[in-house]
Amino acid sequence: MPTYDVTINGRRRQVTAAADMPLLWVLRDSLGMTGTKFGCGEGVCGACTVHENGHAMRSCLIPVAAAAGKSYVTIEGLAGKQLHACQQAWIDEDVAQCGYCQPGMIMTAAALLRANPSPSDAEIDAAMANSVCRCGTYNRMRAAIRRAARAAAK
Amino acid sequence: MNTLTRREFLRRSALAGSGLVLATFVPELARGQQKQNGTPFEPNVYLRVNPDGTTTVTVIHHEMGQGVRTLLPMLVAEDLEVDWRQVRIEQAVTGPRFKDIRLHTSGSSSSADSYLEMRRAGAAARDMLVAAAAATWSVPADACRAEHGAVLHPPTGRRLGYGELAAAAAQQPMPTEPRLKDPSQFRLIGKPMRRIDGPAIVTGRARYGLDVRRPGMVFASIERAPVLGAKLVRYDDTTARAKPGVLRTVPVRSGIQQGVAVIATSTWAAFQARHALKIEWDLGAQREFDSERFIADLDRALGQPAVTTRQEGDAPAALASAAQRLQATYVLPFQAHAPLEVMNCTADVRADAAEFWVPTQTQYRCMQQAVKVTGLPEEKIKIHAELMGGGFGRRLFADYLAEAAEISKAIGKTVQVVWTREDETRHGYFQPCTAQRFDGALDANRRLIALAHTSISSDLTIYDIHQGRDMYGGGPKPPKDADSYQIWGAFDNPYEIQHLKVEAVDVPSPVPYGPWRAVEYPSTVFGRESFLDEMAHLAGADPLQFRLDLLHGGVRTVGPYRIDQSRLARVHELAAERAGWGTPFREDGRLHGRGIAASVYHAGSYIAQVAEVSVAKDHSDVRVHRIVAAIDCGLVLNPLGAIGQAESGITWGLSYALKGKVDFQQGRAVQRGYGDFAVMRMNDMPRTEIHLVDSNAKPGGFGEHAVPMVPPAVANAVFAATGIRVRRLPITPESLRAARTG
Repeated sequence: MPTYDVTINGRRRQVTAAADMPLLWVLRDSLGMTGTKFGCGEGVCGACTVHENGHAMRSCLIPVAAAAGKSYVTIEGLAGKQLHACQQAWIDEDVAQCGYCQPGMIMTAAALLRANPSPSDAEIDAAMANSVCRCGTYNRMRAAIRRAARAAAK
Repeated sequence: MNTLTRREFLRRSALAGSGLVLATFVPELARGQQKQNGTPFEPNVYLRVNPDGTTTVTVIHHEMGQGVRTLLPMLVAEDLEVDWRQVRIEQAVTGPRFKDIRLHTSGSSSSADSYLEMRRAGAAARDMLVAAAAATWSVPADACRAEHGAVLHPPTGRRLGYGELAAAAAQQPMPTEPRLKDPSQFRLIGKPMRRIDGPAIVTGRARYGLDVRRPGMVFASIERAPVLGAKLVRYDDTTARAKPGVLRTVPVRSGIQQGVAVIATSTWAAFQARHALKIEWDLGAQREFDSERFIADLDRALGQPAVTTRQEGDAPAALASAAQRLQATYVLPFQAHAPLEVMNCTADVRADAAEFWVPTQTQYRCMQQAVKVTGLPEEKIKIHAELMGGGFGRRLFADYLAEAAEISKAIGKTVQVVWTREDETRHGYFQPCTAQRFDGALDANRRLIALAHTSISSDLTIYDIHQGRDMYGGGPKPPKDADSYQIWGAFDNPYEIQHLKVEAVDVPSPVPYGPWRAVEYPSTVFGRESFLDEMAHLAGADPLQFRLDLLHGGVRTVGPYRIDQSRLARVHELAAERAGWGTPFREDGRLHGRGIAASVYHAGSYIAQVAEVSVAKDHSDVRVHRIVAAIDCGLVLNPLGAIGQAESGITWGLSYALKGKVDFQQGRAVQRGYGDFAVMRMNDMPRTEIHLVDSNAKPGGFGEHAVPMVPPAVANAVFAATGIRVRRLPITPESLRAARTG
């Protein structure tokens, strides 16, 4: 099997994997980074969302061969010295229930706020519409995104 | 291990015995072993006061989002008098320590069952710590006070931390009746407490079943029978084994359907190689099973013998002589649980011992399966309950543990078995498709005088596969016990109706079925609450007033329940008031309506909801704008959690009110994932408003109660807007069209 260089959270990693193995499984099974979640494997639920150049991407749809040479941020690398404004807002609004979808939700929301620091509710809904939370925490999530936007504006 | 009756399995919770904390004390832990300083004080199985002053609470329930890992420690910490930041948690692992406790979570019973148990555990420990301090100081115990993890003697200003007192406290006698705090003194209970796992969740550190990583572990994925009950005949794995990362294959026969497992070095490799297996199946008797035909046949099942579960007055006679009469049948289609985390289990089965890491609602049921498949005795098996990425009843089954046990045993390695989303959607224990038949009558004063309700359903308390019986070829079902027919939401009809008859008809189904969120209430309450609305319209009455007129009877005893109609009336009034019941809508060219529906969950939680909808004039869309819920679930232990669970339940209810269903064709589930088994997403969400009623009544369940009245509230609102009655879920433009023409 071929070997690929992928940068994850600022650290260059070398992985040996089938060329079509999605980044999701490279993270979870090869690198043991399980913060990025498997939900559907076909880009429908958003649980596996990571950042590529600050943009939200579905890691289940990125073959490792296409990820080679690129740089990704996962939920484990989102916080700097402090939690990201979305992570803090998620805690403050007590968003999570089972919590399984939340890493993907937070990555999606963080990418939204990077592109659009003060989104309207309609813009929030549009950005989050491709992600599934079976516990139904959507209204608190929306409140958390508003809160994070306010915090980041300060 | 004592056994649960079938209905207890759904309803009951961890406390196997009397429910008294003394039954679960472990005296040998409290005495003898703990004479030295520097050892923890462990007065009972629920808590440990550590020498560093922290307290570790062992959580005996299973976290699936309902918040037990926050709530149970709150209850202990309240009476123990420790600060929240001094509390640590541990998840209970099977073993002798918990021999008297069923590690099992269902029926939204965690909080209600644990409320006094956990408080007593904390209070008993506190009394022993106070006694130890008093003995040290040679002062009377009642001159001392516990607060913030320390004992104080106010007259002298002396103070000893719990950590310092741990060893001495272990020598104190166990109080038989520890004093519980007065609710007016609560510091934690009733306060909005954030989820204890919140920081771990938002940083990706929270470990779910699928995140378990063990040394030397391999991954497996199972290609399961395509048709319900099909049998594995033979297979050729030559191509599959040649795929990169594939180690071997093994047949699997202990799960929900038979299959062939591919074992590989990564989940992805196992997923991919499944497609290369060449499997010959004996498709069996269910190859033609079709859910549309099943639904059509449900009506015919009305002729079958029914079991009467409630009879008051003479409903048949009253119906026959009524001034006005209406009959209607309501259908709930098959439903999938669709938790975001797929089923998975990590198993390490060796010749002499076995260990499992599994996201489960029931270590109890997991242990039964582990014993059965491994052949090892219970004491050689450890079951670790991992966080669940959603439970919703699906994880009351241990089929996925059984498969993992079988595979690990066969290959002699630690293996994580991972389902795909398609496996999850097509091979679950589905919420059964049911029909609810109602026959109602108004008297000359247009009051509901008689009601007959027949619930036509597959018995949710049958678990054929895990009772060791082959549901596809194992002969007739064993006879049911009487309580199996006491369908929730049917026999416990909370309204005051002079002539009431409730019956249940059991229909066999080849579809594996199991409890879904709120178990039987979704089907029965959809029917009952829709039908009440139909009767109100037949009577020309306001639906709210019509309902209130049926709630004047005070407290009614129904089977094991005491139902307080005044609490149900109160939530009706509150929901209606907050929703602006009866006020006009803004004119915007659409058809608007409000609907109200209610339910009583196991006589402990009372909830009414008003849905506000609009429908395009050409009926080309249905929008839910607002759900207003009024909830009386007794004493609210954590309002932040309780409101979150209500919002969650409403979202769940909207998903099956407006979107999801599972169809079967040619013995196979048609839907494959979130693409075609649609659930609510953020852009679909209405405003939700949750109003909690102040109450000091015993805490009721709050994980499921908000679900079942959502679809009838929406259906009633759609009727108010359009005059079209949808009697089969989901409510879509297509179902509006079908209802109008059909």
